[in-house]
Amino acid sequence: MTAVASSSRKGSGGLFRFRASIPQSATLLAAVTGAAAFLGGWQLLVSLHVVAPVFLPTPLKVAQTFIRMCTDGSMLPNTVVSVRRVWLAFLLSALLAVPLGILMSGYRIIGATLEPMIDFIRYLPVPALVPLAIIWFGVGESTKIFLLWLGTFFQLVLMIAADMKRIPNEYFETAYTLGARPRETLLPVALPAMLPQLMDSMRISLGWCWTYVIIAEIVASDSGLGFVIWTARRFMKTDQVMAGVIMIGLIGLVTDQCLRLLHRKLFRYQ
Amino acid sequence: MEQISPYLQFRNVTKFFGDVPVVQEPFNLSIPAGQFTVFLGPSGCGKTTLMRMIGGLDTPTSGEILLQGRPVGEPDIRRGMVFQSYSSFPWLTVRKNIEFGMRFRKDLSFGQKKDRAEHFLKLVGLGDFATSYPSRISGGMRQRVAIARTLAADPDVLLMDEPFGALDANLREDLQFELRKIQKNSGKTTIFVTHDVEEAVFLADRIIVFGSRPAHVIADIDVTSLIGAERNETVRDSERFFHLRTEILHRLRGRQVKAVAA
Ligand SMILES: Nc1ncnc2c1ncn2[C@@H]1O[C@H](COP(=O)(O)OP(=O)(O)OP(=O)(O)O)[C@@H](O)[C@H]1O
Ligand SMILES: [Mg+2]
Repeated sequence: MTAVASSSRKGSGGLFRFRASIPQSATLLAAVTGAAAFLGGWQLLVSLHVVAPVFLPTPLKVAQTFIRMCTDGSMLPNTVVSVRRVWLAFLLSALLAVPLGILMSGYRIIGATLEPMIDFIRYLPVPALVPLAIIWFGVGESTKIFLLWLGTFFQLVLMIAADMKRIPNEYFETAYTLGARPRETLLPVALPAMLPQLMDSMRISLGWCWTYVIIAEIVASDSGLGFVIWTARRFMKTDQVMAGVIMIGLIGLVTDQCLRLLHRKLFRYQ
Repeated sequence: MEQISPYLQFRNVTKFFGDVPVVQEPFNLSIPAGQFTVFLGPSGCGKTTLMRMIGGLDTPTSGEILLQGRPVGEPDIRRGMVFQSYSSFPWLTVRKNIEFGMRFRKDLSFGQKKDRAEHFLKLVGLGDFATSYPSRISGGMRQRVAIARTLAADPDVLLMDEPFGALDANLREDLQFELRKIQKNSGKTTIFVTHDVEEAVFLADRIIVFGSRPAHVIADIDVTSLIGAERNETVRDSERFFHLRTEILHRLRGRQVKAVAA
């Protein structure tokens, strides 16, 4: 009796056991079932005429449109444009934010000078700055990059300063008693000690870049995925809008997973 | 050679953190070269603070600390410190951690650093774990990595703040034995902080017993003259060892009882 009871506790009997782990096969099955139910429900809504297809095309229709747009040249070039903007702005943010964040937390006086200002700027919503960006930069490529940079840089600086602050003092003090001068600890101690958190911060801010690029492309662009979905909206091509949105989601998912994988590979020592 | 001034000296040192006195009465202590000195005392009495001031990681509020007659100043390679926690760098392998100890030494060639790292790797018995990361080895091994790294840097003074605090009893005794041997072979002046009386007696040439904060000396014990310089398991089990241990425990307790009564 007891043997049966205890084996069922570990085995398949306990899918709804609070905080207990479930088998891998169940995880996969659950994911597939969930997705299938979602798509099925969606299809049903349209088939039963609960919602008009013009507002909600069927999942199949969206998939067809997605594939067609990927092959007829209306999606991919615009995807490349958006990806390029995102990475350009992100790299620009990161290149400036990493050293500045480290300096702000390494030298209190620099932090005290900049932090209140940065704290203010980072609460300015990016859409509110669009008019200013257009006045300064016109409607060219630099406007978009500037907006994305604005949306991420100030957040990232503060996150990196916080990452640096979290490094245990012992690491620095160990280096000092081995003959390092304070600034000599930046590369061999501070950077590797904070790198895992730093990469996480960058991954998060890359996600924000995607949000802002769509906003920028909707209000001030004639290319990119934001432009694609906004144009489709004007002609009530709901399937195209959804295909565009799915593309954005897919890119986000793939990027995030790649970065997580890289994280695991790089920081295997943890 | 005649010793004119002591090797390491606290001269009228006081320390306040803001208004909080850690060392209130001017503290004086002279430590000769090569001595293994243990700071023993209850938690919070200021042992770490005193040691950090030798390392230059904290500065005295008044008074001074002299090394070979000169104020110690900023932290440098002459005073190596082993911390209780975060003692080794998790992103470096055991070997790289030890090599890090010589990173800031400009007098050694690349090859010499490699050789020295190898030497200290073996000395602390971690030859088989050279390419392991600290997260993959035991807490005792991590402390040995930190000790090897500090020894590789070749400081004049070895400062150790409860390096064996988190270890189980058996491992602790083994490491104490190894450390005592290494210290005697290298002849490095060593300050070791602990609140474990047995550990203090086993390791020390001399024990400074502190009472609770603000730090004050209850006793200055010449351990070597009481139980000899040889330390091993037989000594640990001996009558003399037991007596000294008990006596120190009584003194620590006596002070605490009084403090409560007052
Ligand atoms: N940076 C600091 N600021 C304020 N107070 C401090 C600081 N560092 C230590 N103290 C205080 O000074 C006192 C002595 O601390 P210290 O760490 O030297 O004690 P300790 O003898 O090493 O104790 P333990 O055995 O617990 O490590 C404690 O009361 C502690 O709270
Ligand atoms: Mg302490």
